[in-house]
Amino acid sequence: MDIQYSGRRIVVSEKYLTLLDRFVLDFIRILEQETPYVIVSGYVAILFGRSRGTEDVDILVPHLEKPSFSRLYRALLDGGYEFLNAEDADGLFDMLNKRMGIRVARKEQFIPNIELKFVKDEVDRIVLRDRVEVNLPGADVYISAIEIQIAYKLFLGSQKDIEDALFLYEIFREDLDPTILKQRMESFGVRGDEYGIVV
Amino acid sequence: MSMELSFDRKAHEKERLAFVRSYAAWVKRTPNAEWSRQQGALIDSFFENGRNMPLSRKEYLERVAVKKRVRP
Repeated sequence: MDIQYSGRRIVVSEKYLTLLDRFVLDFIRILEQETPYVIVSGYVAILFGRSRGTEDVDILVPHLEKPSFSRLYRALLDGGYEFLNAEDADGLFDMLNKRMGIRVARKEQFIPNIELKFVKDEVDRIVLRDRVEVNLPGADVYISAIEIQIAYKLFLGSQKDIEDALFLYEIFREDLDPTILKQRMESFGVRGDEYGIVV
Repeated sequence: MSMELSFDRKAHEKERLAFVRSYAAWVKRTPNAEWSRQQGALIDSFFENGRNMPLSRKEYLERVAVKKRVRP
């Protein structure tokens, strides 16, 4: 793997873009016209080679005002997407304000889908603030910083999540900031020793 | 759950983690074009399979809601 890692930027040259990557890139091309965003959770590990599928891609955005959400809603419908939730634009906006995720997929195909959420707490705000730019062949995406992603996955705690955390740790172990990783793990109240994630 | 079943689960988890470590090591020593091509074959097949999901939209949303409730 040839990765150039410099804190807030990761360059992955010559990567084959999977159908899932193209799905994500097409979506964020519309999303970023309206708002900054950060991709979190399972797709981050998959982007760097983890050998598993996923049904959904989690994306956080800052709180949007109603007109901004309405523009995004319209742009997504015009772009060939549909919302899986039964609610109309007002109902979807209400869901986001109630800290719920809304799901967006290509028309007539609900897997994979994007689960879109407003940032809801300090952790989410840090994730958005410290997002990392990933340069792929022909496109860029913003993802959660790897240190917080590892800690969060350990916090979630399912076997799949622990494997994601371990995979990211193994891929980036020479590049991670041990002080930040330790801070993040302490703030989530998790340890990784038993899985070989040592800080 | 019996002790025997509990032991098997632990052994399986350990084996899975060992696989993740060795797979990550392979990704790290393999050129991007190659690991991503091999991973892409798997991911793309999942993607294509998603079109065959025999659930309605409503059933799918109910299923993911249940999965979230039982998540640790």
